[in-house]
Amino acid sequence: MKKLIFFILFSSLITSLASARSTGCKEGNCDNGYGKWVYTDKTTYEGEWVATKKHGQGTETWPNGYIYKGEFKESQWNGIGILFFPDGSTYEGEWANGFMNGQGTFTWSDGKQKKGIWKNGSFQE
Amino acid sequence: MVNKKKVFGKMEVSKNSFKTLSEPVKQFGGLVGIIILIFLTFFVLNNIFGEGDELVAKMKIEEERIAEERKLNKLISSLPSGVLVSFDGTDNFKLSDELYEAVCKATKLIPQRAIMGANFLNFRAHEIYTINGNKIDETFVKWDDEKNKCFAGFVVSGNNVGVDETVKVSGEALSFLSTGIDTRVYFIKNF
Repeated sequence: MKKLIFFILFSSLITSLASARSTGCKEGNCDNGYGKWVYTDKTTYEGEWVATKKHGQGTETWPNGYIYKGEFKESQWNGIGILFFPDGSTYEGEWANGFMNGQGTFTWSDGKQKKGIWKNGSFQE
Repeated sequence: MVNKKKVFGKMEVSKNSFKTLSEPVKQFGGLVGIIILIFLTFFVLNNIFGEGDELVAKMKIEEERIAEERKLNKLISSLPSGVLVSFDGTDNFKLSDELYEAVCKATKLIPQRAIMGANFLNFRAHEIYTINGNKIDETFVKWDDEKNKCFAGFVVSGNNVGVDETVKVSGEALSFLSTGIDTRVYFIKNF
């Protein structure tokens, strides 16, 4: 019985150590420079870092298929960038505080487009 | 008076005829009597405390639900692990119409990234979600028989700048994640 409890505890320790190791900077310099960071849910960011924050050009890939390529500021999507939705739809244009803000074009997967000004993810008619 | 005498007389006769019966017959009669008494007792108790047909109907529904769940679990374990999609144009496993419906019916979970993705087009929901520490009030995954589509969504509520707000976000569930144990909504198309 003692052996079994020890085995269970040891296995959980190894599992948590393994999962803890799965997050972090995998390549390059994730403090100041160019590096690749992998999160526990397999979201990845590969791009420029300034003072341990995503800053500059980079690509963030979510495990469920969202991909953002473009400018980052203080770890947020800020500036010019393109977001690919999992179904193939895209938004290309200006971003601020992680949302579609400014001039941009939303293209549905069937080719339909909406072009104009966006505010916090909503199209301004 | 005469009638009373007649009745008592008849009872006396049947009493005597019972006495004349053989022992095994008497025992058999007693046994049948006890069985009838037990049945009657349960019948009366069931009428007083039992739910009768209602209970049977409930049990039937529960049995059907368990059978359906077993069927769906079997199906989920047969699916490949990874992303399952209902649309073309990706390298992921493409669900057939039948599988799409079955996976939709078997899915209950919506992970954080799917919620965050849907929030891109709903700033109010994003704000409440963030302010309340990523707390979700309710999630739902439903198969729409009329539209033949799977819909998923979530409800966030909380105080946003002094105002109590509740926002419901919903859209078509177009992709799922199969973990081998369960399936999760991976992409809600709310645009």
